[in-house]
Amino acid sequence: MSEILQYIPGNSPLHHLNPVTKLLLVILIVGLCVISSHIPFLCFLIAILVIGAFFSGLISETKSQVPFLLLLSFFLVLLTSLTVQEGEMLLTILPSSGQNDPGFGVTAGGLFFGIVLSLRFVVMITAFQLFVVTTKPSDLVTGLLAFRLPVDYVLMLLIALRFIPSLQLEAKRIHEAQLCRGYNPGTGISGKIRSLKPIMIPLVANSLAKTQVLGLTLDMRGYRARKHFPLHKLVFGAGDAICAFLVLVILVVFALLHFFILP
Amino acid sequence: MILATSLSYTYPVGTRPALRGVTLSVGAGELVLITGPTAAGKTTLCYALSGILQHEFGGSFSGYLALAGRPVTEYAGVSELNRHVSMVFDDADSQLIFTSVEEELASGLETRIDSKQEIEGRVRNVMELCGISHLRERPPYALSGGQKQKVAIAAALAMDTEVIILDEPTSELDVGATSQVIGILQGLKTQGKTIIIVDHSLEGYRTVADRVIVMEEGEISREGTFDEIYPDQQGSMKALYTDPDLKPYQPAGSPEVVKIDSLRKKYGEIEALSGVSLTLHEGEFIAILGENGSGKTTLVKHLNGLLRPDSGSVLVKNLDASTAPVIHLVQQAGLVFQNPDTMLFADSVKDEIMFGLENIGSHGPDIIIQDVLSMVGLSGSEQAYPRHLSRGERQRLAVACILAMRPGIIILDEPTTGLDEKESDQMMDLMLSLQKTGHTIIMVTHNMRIAEEYASRIIAMENGLVIGDYHNLKGRAS
Repeated sequence: MSEILQYIPGNSPLHHLNPVTKLLLVILIVGLCVISSHIPFLCFLIAILVIGAFFSGLISETKSQVPFLLLLSFFLVLLTSLTVQEGEMLLTILPSSGQNDPGFGVTAGGLFFGIVLSLRFVVMITAFQLFVVTTKPSDLVTGLLAFRLPVDYVLMLLIALRFIPSLQLEAKRIHEAQLCRGYNPGTGISGKIRSLKPIMIPLVANSLAKTQVLGLTLDMRGYRARKHFPLHKLVFGAGDAICAFLVLVILVVFALLHFFILP
Repeated sequence: MILATSLSYTYPVGTRPALRGVTLSVGAGELVLITGPTAAGKTTLCYALSGILQHEFGGSFSGYLALAGRPVTEYAGVSELNRHVSMVFDDADSQLIFTSVEEELASGLETRIDSKQEIEGRVRNVMELCGISHLRERPPYALSGGQKQKVAIAAALAMDTEVIILDEPTSELDVGATSQVIGILQGLKTQGKTIIIVDHSLEGYRTVADRVIVMEEGEISREGTFDEIYPDQQGSMKALYTDPDLKPYQPAGSPEVVKIDSLRKKYGEIEALSGVSLTLHEGEFIAILGENGSGKTTLVKHLNGLLRPDSGSVLVKNLDASTAPVIHLVQQAGLVFQNPDTMLFADSVKDEIMFGLENIGSHGPDIIIQDVLSMVGLSGSEQAYPRHLSRGERQRLAVACILAMRPGIIILDEPTTGLDEKESDQMMDLMLSLQKTGHTIIMVTHNMRIAEEYASRIIAMENGLVIGDYHNLKGRAS
């Protein structure tokens, strides 16, 4: 079973980075990809992420996201090309009926916006994935606490991530139990939706039943008493210095592209 | 260490008090075993003694409770209490939060110890103590039930508190692992730790427990030393299959219902079954015993197509279980899972049973439903909401759901987990009555007592192989 968004133990440079550095890097990359609508710059960010994944030995994990990302991009491009009517008409679906009606079809503006949006999602999802799979959950908590995020919200994120593999396992168990009763995943859309009930109800009920013990466990280990983490206790190493340099490079490329080459 | 006087408690949503006038004092270095039927208030008492009830639950509370000489209400919440008390909850799975065993154990320490070396040292010691060093980097959610329980216990021990409260910590452990856990607790006791433990399987505590408390309906009904309360042996802790009373199995004259030949199954790199050959006959009451991870559950999942063999063959009533559709196989061999909550979803008991019947296109369901409900002793509960039934009733409802589909073979995976002795016996009596009506019963269990008392045939497994096959003369099914 493949596990989604779970920490993968390793010894790579990305694993050794300080969680705070990693978090800053992710915020910077995600922030810049939202600000920028420059396709070469977005590709540059993707290239950096791919290089990062390569050096951390996580290239296969990153690759496994490709089909999902392609599907997402396809729908985004489809959606924007059909809704955004701007710029030159590339493919006419409904021809113009008069002077003020440009007609309806795929426009250059719509296509461009779709591609930019897809690239942004690729950057965000890949960056977040790399961050989560290379950061131990306890480091993740430390990192977020160092940013003075309220501890309850940090724990919410931790628990949400924690529940992904549990839900996968539990769903498998429930599926098997229902198979023993001759459960037949229905055909057609309505059948599929109706056949969800025997899986979803036990899944939700059992997960909710688990939350109490989970919350109490966190309390008993004193997690909620951690208000924030003193920044000066975090150890910064050579990797973090390299990252600072990387941040500088990204910012310079960003500035060059946006203010000089493409003002 | 702990002093409780006239402790009473009612849950915020409850109408009846869960604890009624409990008075209890536990000294430092004492090991107290709490037992009693399900819903007797054992877990609630654990929550009360750890201070969770007062600080987290609300509800109405009366009486006095002090921990380490200070009233519990004076502590500033659970975050202060956790310096004195640690607790192992009964659901191992939901108290494992992090992504590696090592991190799980360290998580409670990071909040109180600054030195990284000290944390690492302590984590290493606890892992060695609990025999889980080899699981250090494994993600807890992917471990087996027994391993999870060990990690949960280790996570509590890592906190190194004066009081340790354990709620059914051995429910999924086999005999060997249970005595290992009891050994660890004994060691902690000699270090002066106060230990309170709730358990259903008792015998292993005979030499360790200073005191036994029996609870019933929220009250302490009996209290005394182990020998006073239980003068007789309670289900032997010795590995049953070395018992000289067992005779080597000789096939009976009845027809074959299951024939397994050289069955092999791998999960990734790990071989779960390495060549199992078995023939099961109609009307047998079989207990499959073995340690955690010996391949018992993997084996029975092959009987109804949930798993398919990598090699070898499985014949169930002349159906080839390596290719036949699951829907056909489940009408021959019905499997009831350990936890009934993985299957219950309908709004009424009747609908719950109907689900299976509709799936196989059965006719005249009403009579069948009445019939199976009376068999499992749930007549008259047709309209009840399944999830509101007690654990024992839910387990029997799960059996009814499978029975309704009229399989000749009934397979039970750990049918007594989470049930008290009375409920376990009810469950087994039900199986005996089914056996009398011609069903073949196959039961995967690590509960020696019920295997010894009920099964007619005992099959022992180890590391994916059958290592013993016996006729159990003492079994009531023989």
